Amino acid sequence: MSRVVVLGAGISGHTAALVLRRKLPRDHEVVVVSPNRQWNWIPSNIWVGVGRMTKADVTFELKPVYDRKGIAFYQARAVALHPEGKAESSKPFVAIESTEPGQEGVKAEISYDFLINATGPKLNFAATPGLGPAANSLSVCTAEHAEQTAIVLAAAIERMRKGEALTFVVGTGHGVCTCEGAAFEYIFNLEFEIRRAGVRDKARIVMLTNEAELGDFGVDGLQLRRGGYVIGSKPFAESLFVERGVEWITGAHVQKVAPNLVSYETLDGETHSLAFDFAMLLPPFTGVGLKAFDAAGVDLSSELFAPNQFMKVDADYTAKPYEDWKAADWPSTYQCPKYANIFAVGIAFAPPHQISRPRKTRNGTLIAPAPPRTGMPSGVMGKTVALSIVDFITKGADSPLHRASMSHMGAACVASAGNSFVRGSAASMTMYPVVPDYDRFPELGRDLRFTTGEIGTAGHWIKRILHTLFIYKAKARLGWWLIPE
Amino acid sequence: MTIPNESAKNAMKPSGSVLFFRTFFPYQLYRFVRINLRMLGMILKGHQ
Repeated sequence: MSRVVVLGAGISGHTAALVLRRKLPRDHEVVVVSPNRQWNWIPSNIWVGVGRMTKADVTFELKPVYDRKGIAFYQARAVALHPEGKAESSKPFVAIESTEPGQEGVKAEISYDFLINATGPKLNFAATPGLGPAANSLSVCTAEHAEQTAIVLAAAIERMRKGEALTFVVGTGHGVCTCEGAAFEYIFNLEFEIRRAGVRDKARIVMLTNEAELGDFGVDGLQLRRGGYVIGSKPFAESLFVERGVEWITGAHVQKVAPNLVSYETLDGETHSLAFDFAMLLPPFTGVGLKAFDAAGVDLSSELFAPNQFMKVDADYTAKPYEDWKAADWPSTYQCPKYANIFAVGIAFAPPHQISRPRKTRNGTLIAPAPPRTGMPSGVMGKTVALSIVDFITKGADSPLHRASMSHMGAACVASAGNSFVRGSAASMTMYPVVPDYDRFPELGRDLRFTTGEIGTAGHWIKRILHTLFIYKAKARLGWWLIPE
Repeated sequence: MTIPNESAKNAMKPSGSVLFFRTFFPYQLYRFVRINLRMLGMILKGHQ
């Protein structure tokens, strides 16, 4: 009997757990450890953040699903890995701390034969003074944050109805943030709702982003065929901003968020400030701070984790100039180089480098959008690693590993720009591969046949259908496994 | 890097017909089918 422990129940971890349970004989155990008792379809949080959905619409309780499927669930935070066990037993284990109400902080150890680290990110609001819902800005990173943001937005709309003119700032709260796509979605949903409320003339709306150009999205932008030309995603994105009357500030590193005032540095080294009445600024991510120890208690964390606390896997982490980066640097098996029974997927694995070109301001401040590794790629990684582990257990340790590199993986992304069946819209984008590969596609790094983008109501319908479909899949209802990641 | 009045002036702006077709139901129904087929192709490629 083998035990597979999955740390985290986000898109990648939950997918891995369900695939493992479906593929492994019942005498093998699947265990999920997650500090959250609910699963959250994060892409729909932007609709919670404008009051078009509630927290209940985008979350569900994990335990009933795991009980039904025969997966053990611990509502707890993983604290430390012990891949070599301890002095009295060489059985690897993970140390956890309960987050269950009434049991907070209670420690336990769970032994494992295989471990998947899918712990996702720590929302590092502390990286920027004054950033975050506990301080001076809002967020849509969790359903709770999004609900809080919706309340503040509703109050702002009321103020505008009474005649006040307000400034809304949406974007990234630090130079190394990721998920610019979420900020893009939120700003256009916010604009749509303000227009729907009939107070658009009272609102100044500003995008404040670490992208050097609009449309970068942390993936160095896209090239698309449009009107007989191949154009970058910059004009594609800018056209939407111009159409909706939304201003933009690019290449920005937010230094500080004071009450109603954000200070930021731009790539030219200048420092600026912008007064606001409403600010939704996303935080940068780090790993969750897992530690690792050998049998003697010696700290192995620096061997297993990169300085940003994400786990090192089968990537090439050699430091080299941007021009020398290769698609082949990216991992494909997500296996830990030091311990073959440990894997890291989703946001938890350490990317070898940015996809978007990193830049520094004249003052040396790094402004580098971090690579997105959420959504579809995250689910594919979870499934791939689960299949590798299934083969290890059922066919033997010399089974070949399954592979899914982001440099061989496409992604479909639907970015909402307004929630309405008739008047809403979304940008429907596909790209292949996610990480540009200039060896296979020398001119642009991506295959133009599969790299596309367009805006329209059809995109909104797709995003709404995906919401229902992926929650159905995550609840492991009948035929869930037929729905691709 | 700053609020770009100049950039905004030079940015592509959608024409009236583009805006019309973005929400024109019959055309969007057609695009819905096309986008889904395209995404299906992408998903199949991503799951190889």
